[in-house]
Amino acid sequence: MQAYLVKTFIGIFALDENRKVVSFRPFPKDGSDVASRLDEKEPKEYKEIKIELKQKGFKTFVDDDEKSKELVNQNLRKYAIEYKFSKDVLEFNQFLSKVNQEVSKRKIKSQVSRDSLVINTNNAIDELDKSINIFVERMREFYGLHFPEMDRLVSDHEKYAEIIKKYGTREKISDSELKKFAEDSMGIEFTGEDVGIASILADNVIELYNLRKKLSDYLGNLLKEVAPNFSALGGDLIAAKLISRAGGMDRLSKMPSSTIQLLGSEKALFRFLRSKGRSKSPKYGLIYNHPLIQNSPADKQGKIARLLASKLSIAARIDYYSGEYRGDEMKKELHEKVKEILKEK
Amino acid sequence: MPVEKTKSAKIFKIRGRVVTVNLIPGTKVYGEELIKEKAVEYRVWDSWRSKPSAAIKNGLKNFPLQENMIVLYLGIANGTTASHFSDVVGKNGLIYGVEISGRPFRELLPLAEKRGNIVPILANARKPEDYEHTIIDKVDLVYQDVATDDQITVLIRNCEKFLKSGGYAVLAIKSQSIDVVKPPKQVYKECLQELEKYFEILDKVELDPYEKFHLFVVMKWKK
Ligand SMILES: C[S@@+](CC[C@H](N)C(=O)[O-])C[C@H]1O[C@@H](n2cnc3c(N)ncnc32)[C@H](O)[C@@H]1O
Repeated sequence: MQAYLVKTFIGIFALDENRKVVSFRPFPKDGSDVASRLDEKEPKEYKEIKIELKQKGFKTFVDDDEKSKELVNQNLRKYAIEYKFSKDVLEFNQFLSKVNQEVSKRKIKSQVSRDSLVINTNNAIDELDKSINIFVERMREFYGLHFPEMDRLVSDHEKYAEIIKKYGTREKISDSELKKFAEDSMGIEFTGEDVGIASILADNVIELYNLRKKLSDYLGNLLKEVAPNFSALGGDLIAAKLISRAGGMDRLSKMPSSTIQLLGSEKALFRFLRSKGRSKSPKYGLIYNHPLIQNSPADKQGKIARLLASKLSIAARIDYYSGEYRGDEMKKELHEKVKEILKEK
Repeated sequence: MPVEKTKSAKIFKIRGRVVTVNLIPGTKVYGEELIKEKAVEYRVWDSWRSKPSAAIKNGLKNFPLQENMIVLYLGIANGTTASHFSDVVGKNGLIYGVEISGRPFRELLPLAEKRGNIVPILANARKPEDYEHTIIDKVDLVYQDVATDDQITVLIRNCEKFLKSGGYAVLAIKSQSIDVVKPPKQVYKECLQELEKYFEILDKVELDPYEKFHLFVVMKWKK
């Protein structure tokens, strides 16, 4: 026999194959205890109910059955009273509120100074990029002995790696564009063993890119929590770098926009100071990589950089002090203002 | 001072000001004024700080919030408005409040603790699947004040998951967050057209001068 187990905030329900409730183990009536149990995969009551069910002849247990969850939730108010967990609606509602206060407190606590995770992850990505470069170079150099023409034909590193994995030697490449070049390639012949090594190098590159993708997704989620407005305006990558450079949201939120504009240009700034005015003073730091600046003509870039920096500094303050999300709106405003600047003579 | 009734049984007016009956007599939430009339304590619902109050001031006839309702509130922030909702639904009603941002949310927690009829949920309203197991009820009313550019999609997705058939949805449309360049009237028109596919529009009113470029809409779910 199979049983469905459903965890709710009042306890664990067990349903039989026809999705009829066969047992219920209440949680203690304490918000904080329940919050911990909601976090745990198998709280105490979960283990207890399983033992009880095994004695009743149930053999397999299913946890994540959406239909059972829905059924139990729909009837939870009724069950709470039937099983004497709450004496009335009022008590039930108050307990529901209490539990979620506890759940939220825990979430918030774990949010405190999560900006250090942003900094760490950003650094990890930087380091990873260096490794990727090294491995890509190894891979391209190695396979380039066999098929030198491909180096320029395929500029995307991941794609390059995938081609090695898929075809092995250049003779097997069926991609029509590459095939032409493979047929009269200048490269040396590869043995099976040579191909084996090339494909290990390619595997490495693919793995590293996967890892990079995971880290950058994670970074994106972190930024939504820690700096939703700031990252909406700056984009994840630039936002993370700026936060790292500043040393956290706390410091970032206190910086004047002129400082934000120059964050990341420290080297150029020192060069300028040392040269006693003989080299150019830097106009912008990391934000220079922002598409709104990159895609604008050089004579407008300075003005756009100032605008962007001032909007970023407002966003950082909102994130740090109120946290209210207004990113979409601010982004639209920014784009409108940039349009105006671009129209100016 | 005479206490006037409004269409909502638990919302009143005293000398033109919108008020609700204080659920926790003797306590203020955001510095609002308290008025005692015939042994009942009312809290003034500040129209400059809360959109439903502004809408009622501006002549909204039908604000469907009633005693004992279960409400889903998207973008509850620190609970300024929700505290009045909490007064209206009363002890046996319930407000599920979703907020994405930790900072206003932190201030909501003590309010939830005091009132007992607010369920605080720290989550993104764009991802209702993240809190579908927290909300165990089908709700009577969805109130949304999130000011994102996809606020209509967000509302509809939440209604599909949580709103009772024939339930109410109340929305504050902020024209600036949907489109900064188009004239607000144009934005409202387009939004209403979209909303009409899902809802019957019961009432609407602009919030000027309390909130610029906002349209307050009361609707009934067609499903
Ligand atoms: C205009 S304020 C709401 C004020 C509140 N309704 C009141 O009157 O007391 C908008 C709120 O929505 C929140 N918000 C924005 N996007 C959100 C989302 N995707 N999910 C949940 N809350 C969101 C913001 O953080 C902000 O607190």
